[in-house]
Amino acid sequence: MSASPLVRLERVGKRFGAGPAVLAGLDLAVEAGEFVSFIGPSGCGKSTLLRLIAGLGAPTEGAISVAGRTPERAREELFFVFQDPTLLPWRRVAANVELPLLLRGEPADRRRERVRQMLALVGLEAAAGQFPWQLSGGMRMRASIARALSVAPRLLLLDEPFGALDEITRDQLNADLLAIRERDPFTACLVTHSVAEAVFLSSRVIVLAPNPGRVAATISVPFAYPRTAALRESPEFLERLAACAHALRGVIPS
Amino acid sequence: MKRRIPGLLPAVTGAALIAAWYAAIRLFHLAPYVLPSPGAILEAGWRERHTLALSALITGEGALLGFLAAVLGGFLLSGIMAFSFRLKESLYPYILILQMTPVIILAPIFVLWFGQGLPSIVAITFMICFFPIVANTTMGMISVDRNLQELLVLCRARRIQEIRYLRVPGAMPYFLTGMKIAGSLAPIGAITGDLLTGTAQNGVGGMGFMTILYFSQLKIPELFASGLVACLLGFLFVGGVNLVHWLVLRRWHDSLVKPG
Repeated sequence: MSASPLVRLERVGKRFGAGPAVLAGLDLAVEAGEFVSFIGPSGCGKSTLLRLIAGLGAPTEGAISVAGRTPERAREELFFVFQDPTLLPWRRVAANVELPLLLRGEPADRRRERVRQMLALVGLEAAAGQFPWQLSGGMRMRASIARALSVAPRLLLLDEPFGALDEITRDQLNADLLAIRERDPFTACLVTHSVAEAVFLSSRVIVLAPNPGRVAATISVPFAYPRTAALRESPEFLERLAACAHALRGVIPS
Repeated sequence: MKRRIPGLLPAVTGAALIAAWYAAIRLFHLAPYVLPSPGAILEAGWRERHTLALSALITGEGALLGFLAAVLGGFLLSGIMAFSFRLKESLYPYILILQMTPVIILAPIFVLWFGQGLPSIVAITFMICFFPIVANTTMGMISVDRNLQELLVLCRARRIQEIRYLRVPGAMPYFLTGMKIAGSLAPIGAITGDLLTGTAQNGVGGMGFMTILYFSQLKIPELFASGLVACLLGFLFVGGVNLVHWLVLRRWHDSLVKPG
């Protein structure tokens, strides 16, 4: 047996109150080093799934483990990137990136050094002293990612982080995210609405079917990292794209 | 569009009002003790300038002390109530009861407890200013964006850190709104307190005391002049709070930052 997976879900189900099941019978394992994307129609519970892995809410059935512990106990191992940048509007960019380190009680000189590194990583050195309202949407998301990576999480959970951005900015941030991951490796779970984004970023795409949310198909994306933007134009990439689109078409209720 | 001269419209309105004032006195043959002319009021104010200044100072002192006590106490209480929902549930009804009890009725009790003059005036001002600050600040402390709350959960923030780094800064716009309302009420509170419990030295007391004195002597222009001074005192308070608002929020809050 190899080491246990970083994330393991066993027969996970979730319902809110007396409502219908949002997720049912989910079995899933994410190995360290993987980049897994979840894709599916609206209401298939993919965001709920990601939140459960982060410990923001508990499953009503089954069990989730992260690094062999419950998600609540594994908080130092993971960080979450929200759909909105979720920056504190009264803190400058550097102070926002610093926040998780500050709350963990890291000493000031270590915080300063780490924030400098993170801002360089996402290309925001020049914006360190600005307030969130002074940034563009793409820059805000870069700050949000820098903040998430500041604590060097083993597992990064991304909940449609680029959904509100224009396509050019989105492609740019996709490429940047992979470049960052080359330097600062982390395991990633991404929820997205974009098939192209899922295929470009992931080593594995999981297609979820709705009502209740369950795994419908798993498509492996075997291209080696580092990946560059040129990959998007290759026939192999388009073939994977088609496979995902086909699987997705199968789960969309007519 | 033509360039506007700032302040032109209010100035025109003011001139029209003053003209109408004079016209009304002429037209209805109003006696100076019914409606003194603006000129007579200014004259009376100038004549009484030393008395009025001292009186405004006395009232200003009571208003400022009561206001500051309410700002401090209201902020601390809101912070304490932000700690736990149960604590807020337990305390809030009694804060409401305190607010609903008319201060006029409490005034004699305050005099009984704290004695005549400044201490009772401060207590009455405090009572009037306290609620707007607590109500607004508490609203701010509990209206924190859900995502930001979850962010702090993910950062493994302790409750005290959540309050310090998220709830207190997030509540600042609300706190300042409460301060603005309280600031405009503070002089009214102090004058009310002065009316009920004020004392005088050498015939000069707070503005409430002077109101009674001028009225009993039928010094109606002086009465109007003291109203004008009280109005200026109110502006001083609101201006002060506006300055604090600007200092605290100018860098990040939507009410003050200009996009672009």
